[in-house]
Amino acid sequence: MSLTFKDKLKSKDFLITSEISPPKGTDLKEVIEDAEHIRELVDALNVTDNQRAVMRMSPLAVSRTLLDAGHEVIMQLTCRDRNRLALQSDLLGAYAMGIRNICVMTGDHTTKGDHPKTKPVYDLDSVQLLSIIKKIKKGYDLAGNRIDNPPDFLVGAVSNIDQSKSAQMMKLRKKAKTGIDFIQTQAVYDIGKFEVFMESISDIEVPVIAGVIPLKSAKMARFMNRNIPGINVPDDIIDTMENTEKPLDEGMSVCAQTITELKKLCRGTHMMPIGKHNNIPKILEMADIRKKDQC
Amino acid sequence: MIISSAKPFEEVIELLKDKDDIFVVGCNACAAKLHVGGEPEVLEMCKRLEDEGKNIVGWVIPSAACSVASFDSLVEKNTAINDAKTILVMACGSGVSIISGIVDVPVYPSNNTESLGGRSQGEVIPELCAMCGDCKIYYFGGICPKGQCPKRLLNGPCGGAVEGKCEVDPEKDCAWELIFNKMEKKGRLDLLEKVWTVEELSE
Ligand code: SF4
Ligand code: SF4
Repeated sequence: MSLTFKDKLKSKDFLITSEISPPKGTDLKEVIEDAEHIRELVDALNVTDNQRAVMRMSPLAVSRTLLDAGHEVIMQLTCRDRNRLALQSDLLGAYAMGIRNICVMTGDHTTKGDHPKTKPVYDLDSVQLLSIIKKIKKGYDLAGNRIDNPPDFLVGAVSNIDQSKSAQMMKLRKKAKTGIDFIQTQAVYDIGKFEVFMESISDIEVPVIAGVIPLKSAKMARFMNRNIPGINVPDDIIDTMENTEKPLDEGMSVCAQTITELKKLCRGTHMMPIGKHNNIPKILEMADIRKKDQC
Repeated sequence: MIISSAKPFEEVIELLKDKDDIFVVGCNACAAKLHVGGEPEVLEMCKRLEDEGKNIVGWVIPSAACSVASFDSLVEKNTAINDAKTILVMACGSGVSIISGIVDVPVYPSNNTESLGGRSQGEVIPELCAMCGDCKIYYFGGICPKGQCPKRLLNGPCGGAVEGKCEVDPEKDCAWELIFNKMEKKGRLDLLEKVWTVEELSE
């Protein structure tokens, strides 16, 4: 049997994860196609949970579909849409459906999404949910009742990568204290800054999987700088994107260079290709990792 | 204080569409301080309703609409309330509830009740406290994340703030930015390092 994500996390391998967004609808064709583009190139697929508070199919259903198609998944779970009962019950359901890896986050506020009047839940925060998962793994629910056949999840959390944001760093330490197995980060563009971040958490022994998003244009870079918290595309990259005739190719090349640098600094990369999964093989090839024929 | 704001007058008129012989009850506490239920606003409301052809039988401004003891105590202040077929309360939801409980005619609100906030240096500050029933504000330097952070996060910020402004409202400072800066100045960051588990919160 091939190695699981858990096994690989324990190895010295440089890990590749990628993101799959559930559909707005009931057709799973595109999800399966996206995953197919990167079969055997990535170690696990993160299935997002109503990402940016936009209503989509349940990540539980999509995760199971991908498992059935032979992929390994990391199911994301936000605190925005479920109270403590629903979170715990979805966790049990996910494990029973074969999901072994989860990644927990607070979740963007409902006002940012396509149903802005939704009552946000936030019954728990990410640190609290992580400590509850720890308890569940030991065989007890939050109320202290016994759980039969407790789930043995591999648990991840997310982080921004700006070491100067002290409050966020403090929270990351709280997450780490709950005994998480991996951290996936916001997209990295400024390797220097990321290095500072990695140094600042060198005492935390949790594998870090650094996010990357291939740029499509200089405009996209500027947009993200203005609107996506935690993303900081440096000016020289924006200039490169501005001055090229082939921004898509340049974006992929920038991304590949970033991944090459990341290999020296952390345990893996999390690729968020925004609908362009067919570009991932090329980017990985440029970064000189895991060409399909070598697998 | 309870923060409330005046409903648009059109909405009030719509509420009172088929109603007449209106008695207006103001509130000399929060609503008066916020200028949505004190004497000037009550008089203005009476005039506007009259301009719309309504008969106003009278008005009263109890010291606090939320703690009016009985119907008789309103009669004592203005007997005209005996002729009222409709009552309009210019106070928060608590005030409207208390008045509704002591009169027999239909009661309508003129205000929207928003949060528990305050007023300082002439500025109205909403959402200072979420009335959680388990006060922990001390640990956060007097800035309550349950009231002021839209995600009610006790263990640290969400990561959605942009240049110190809240993900939800770019006009508002991120509550956690304020908390962290204040505690840093005070040299009490140790208080923020505490992990708040669900088990130890009585919520
Ligand atoms: S902790 Fe916050 S919400 Fe709770 S009572 Fe104190 S100030 Fe109000
Ligand atoms: S930006 Fe700050 S105040 Fe707004 S939801 Fe996040 S932590 Fe709370």
